[in-house]
Amino acid sequence: MRREVHAEWTKVRTVAGPWWLLGAFVVLTVAAGAVAAAVVPCAAAGCGQDAARISLVGVQLGQAMVALLAVPAICGEYSTGMIHTSLAAMPRRTVALAAKAVVVGGLTLAAGTLAVLGSVLAGRLLLPGSGFVPAHGYPPLSLADGPTLRAAVGSVLYLVLIALLSLGLATAVRDSAAAAGVVLGLLYVFPIAVLMVSSEESRRLLWSISPTNAGLAVQTTVDLADLPISPWGGLGVAAAWAAAALAGGGLLLRLRDA
Amino acid sequence: MTAVTPYRSGLRTGRDGFAQLLRAEWTKIRTVRGWTAGLALVALLIVGLGVLFAAGSHSSCSKGPIEVPCPAPLTGPGGVPVQDRFYFAHQPLAGDGSVTVRVSSMTGQIRKPDVTPGVRNVVPGVTPWAKAGVMIKQSVRQGTAYAALMVTGSHGVHMQYNFTEDLAGRPGGVSAASPRWLRLTRTGDTITGEESADGSHWTTVGTVRPPGLAGKVEIGLFAASPGDLTVTPNVMGGAAVASRFAEVTAVMDQVGVRGVAAGGTWGRDDIGVTMEADGVTPHHPGGLVQSGGTFKVTGVGDIAPSAEGMPVERVLTGVLTGLVAMTAVAVLFVTAEYRRGLIRTTLLASPRRGRVLAAKAVVIAAAAFAAGLVGAAVTVPVGQSILAANGNVLAPVAPLTSLRVIVGTAALLAVAAVFALAVGALFRRSAMAVIAVVVTIIVPYVLAVASILPEEVSRWLLRVTPAAGFAVQQSMPTYAQVTARYAPAEGYFPLPPWAGFAVLCAYAALALALAAHRLRRSDV
Amino acid sequence: MEATIEVTGLRKRFGQTQALDGMTFTVLPGRVTGFVGPNGAGKSTTMRVVLGLDAPDEGRALVGGHPYPSLRNPLSHVGALLDAAALQPSRTGRNHLLWLAHSQGLGARRVDEVIEQVGLTPAARRRAGGYSLGMRQRLGIAVALLGDPPVLMLDEPFNGLDPEGIVWIRGFLRSLAAEGRAVLVSSHLMSELQDTAGHLVVVGRGRVVADTSVADLITTASRDRVTLRTTARAEAMSVLAGADATVTVTERDTLVVSGLAAEHIVRLLGAQGVPFSEVAAHRATLEEAYLDLTRDAVEFRGAAR
Repeated sequence: MRREVHAEWTKVRTVAGPWWLLGAFVVLTVAAGAVAAAVVPCAAAGCGQDAARISLVGVQLGQAMVALLAVPAICGEYSTGMIHTSLAAMPRRTVALAAKAVVVGGLTLAAGTLAVLGSVLAGRLLLPGSGFVPAHGYPPLSLADGPTLRAAVGSVLYLVLIALLSLGLATAVRDSAAAAGVVLGLLYVFPIAVLMVSSEESRRLLWSISPTNAGLAVQTTVDLADLPISPWGGLGVAAAWAAAALAGGGLLLRLRDA
Repeated sequence: MTAVTPYRSGLRTGRDGFAQLLRAEWTKIRTVRGWTAGLALVALLIVGLGVLFAAGSHSSCSKGPIEVPCPAPLTGPGGVPVQDRFYFAHQPLAGDGSVTVRVSSMTGQIRKPDVTPGVRNVVPGVTPWAKAGVMIKQSVRQGTAYAALMVTGSHGVHMQYNFTEDLAGRPGGVSAASPRWLRLTRTGDTITGEESADGSHWTTVGTVRPPGLAGKVEIGLFAASPGDLTVTPNVMGGAAVASRFAEVTAVMDQVGVRGVAAGGTWGRDDIGVTMEADGVTPHHPGGLVQSGGTFKVTGVGDIAPSAEGMPVERVLTGVLTGLVAMTAVAVLFVTAEYRRGLIRTTLLASPRRGRVLAAKAVVIAAAAFAAGLVGAAVTVPVGQSILAANGNVLAPVAPLTSLRVIVGTAALLAVAAVFALAVGALFRRSAMAVIAVVVTIIVPYVLAVASILPEEVSRWLLRVTPAAGFAVQQSMPTYAQVTARYAPAEGYFPLPPWAGFAVLCAYAALALALAAHRLRRSDV
Repeated sequence: MEATIEVTGLRKRFGQTQALDGMTFTVLPGRVTGFVGPNGAGKSTTMRVVLGLDAPDEGRALVGGHPYPSLRNPLSHVGALLDAAALQPSRTGRNHLLWLAHSQGLGARRVDEVIEQVGLTPAARRRAGGYSLGMRQRLGIAVALLGDPPVLMLDEPFNGLDPEGIVWIRGFLRSLAAEGRAVLVSSHLMSELQDTAGHLVVVGRGRVVADTSVADLITTASRDRVTLRTTARAEAMSVLAGADATVTVTERDTLVVSGLAAEHIVRLLGAQGVPFSEVAAHRATLEEAYLDLTRDAVEFRGAAR
């Protein structure tokens, strides 16, 4: 496995695309969080806002960039035919996919940590200006605070899981446009569809199995009792999605002709 | 060297026009099975998800302990759904006549969210669109034609008629120190509303002829107060909206009614009042206290268009998913040529590159429009009838509006497809193009309707991003004179339908221009 | 329209690389013109510039006197085969030709004609993704023939063809030229053009190093060379080297000598008592001529004209 990981790492390292993408991911995520922290108001005590979640709202945008890192990582090989070279060099296909997952996940972990730390810092600096002050019940955002730390760490893990989910789906779908469509449909359209469901009961159920909704529950630091699922439980749902996608992708990779 | 006779082809040359180019691109798209399947999938997703949504939506109303089918929403003279609940002190009027009052006070009470759970938190106050004044109404039946002149909680004097129509008078509230005189005069079919600050100098607020207001009518004093609207963020995304009880009491004196029978008595009607579970006790009743020439009218409710019922576009839930599939097809239609080097063959056959891009755009737009039209035209009637069969109340919609929603949906898909095609031609990489399109069209929409962002930010997102185009699906009108949450999360867009659509078109045109520029400038 | 390709003073730079450096030549009708040079000499770039796909930094390229982008129904003026792999794999070969036909205002009948002409009928309704390299080349040639153009440009058409296919395409190209078409065929292997091309444009480092008929080229390359057959190879070599000749061993008992006339060699060897069985004027192969050219391009330029 070490050799496979090394090979995949060399593949990523030697092209410029992923690095630009990771840079854009960090900038966009922090920028979106900073804008939200600057514009979401908290006029008085009891405004009911979730300071951690506002600062980390950029994750919702950043996950698209993570998908853009993961999808071409596999579909790009199919479109250029390099997959044949890769599988000739690394005939153990599931190991090859696992190595790719390690590299893509590791890159996301590193960039995600940067992006989340940047978002928390931006929130800490900008939120007080929007009325998130101790007088309204909002001490400065700090990672020393348990729920905030959970939201931050959880967001990084969530991004990694989205990367793995995208990689797994992309391996199954193979065509990059179709894979990007499937991944983004799951990430962005599913939550909207959930909102449209009229029955409260089904809505809560769908909410708690949607990778985005449930996964991002880990960012919630207020009104936890109203959530259909616990924060870590939600992240577990996202992890289940990622695991299922990777397993399915790995199985198809083994069974199908390359 | 020996002389050579250059070759002359015996082949009859065809026409070289844009039509040939369109035909070539059409042949291209229809001969790749994955793409035609993708287009069919777009229509299927719209229909399938719409039907699924409709089939999963059940609704029933309870009358006491029993469940009954929900009543059809109340409609006004124009057929629009309305609410018509207020207190009315009235006398019959057969011909011409008028009513004049002086309003010297408006007070009221509002129920706020409970501070201590279970304890009613009622505070004094008047909601912005609480209204009291004079009215001429066809009858005391709910939903009949009317014209009214009123003082409002914080929007000054207004003249309104037949629920949807509104004319603004002078701003400012009333008090004992600065009362307001109101007069409503009927001459034939014409109703004139006038106001005065001193009872002698009158200003006309409006002269109107409300359809359906004719013959024998009721004339008198009224008061109504819409509920107090509170919006709290929902931890699951979106917001919870609550409208809580509010009532208004207006003090009116110097009442003069002309044209009615001499010595007529005031009929009192708490129009549209709901009953408690026992069926006889009114819930939040209005009332009239008359002492000498002073009338204290208390009213609850509103006389206004209502947003009751499911709007027609709700069955088009599958459009977002269909849009993602359409994006993938449109992007592939151009990026596949780059990936295979086929773009060179295309440009050999048609060296005028701008025209190639234009032909591709026309073909993908037509294909997307067709897929969207089939999807929406099937889904709307089918979904509506399933919803109705499941007991859901549907918002009445004018046929033209319904048509606009259907055609608009198809046009939305068509323009989004052109945008995706242009982005694909710009980036030449499919994954990047699909993600860029989804991030610019769908993500702003998702953030606007299902996130923690405040409403104003959501509105801006739906004004300046390509997501503005979804406005073309909005069937519900908005009214400035109504207390309602016209937020994106409720399906209300900040721009009018075609204006929002124009924003999307502008983005598509810009992307297409950039793509054409890149295609013309660079080697392939 | 005249059936010619005129390329004048093309220059094009990609970053640090000067891909075209004053490329100038004319392709005339009625013969197959070979366009040869080592990989990276600028053959494909020149073809792309002629076809309006790449824009030159300087110079111009005309097809029948017109720049390619100004042509109406261009495929009826020029047929080109650039990259036979440029196909949508899920589209059938016939449908690939069909959309191209539609773009030229042609119909399905013409499509079936060219399919027949290149011998692709059995595979025409199969997905192009499953085609062998040879079938793709045939499909590419069908594309080039679609508009029945007086000018044809084929980039490396022999690539991937089996021997039977190579024989077929050689005959095919010659017959097309015999009809009065201008046919430009690029290749990086001169041997492929043997017996096909009547004229050659040899390029190296972005410019033309020879623009000549095949016969002239071989004559020039054969000039001053003598084939010597001898059993005493080592002695012959030392004698001839002593007389300032350049000697190349081609076979076990065969030497090619340049720099000395045949009668001079006979005299020298006779004087030194070196046995030999045959001395003849050397007939160079096309390949040799080509290698000579590309080995020392500048020196040749003067000699060829």
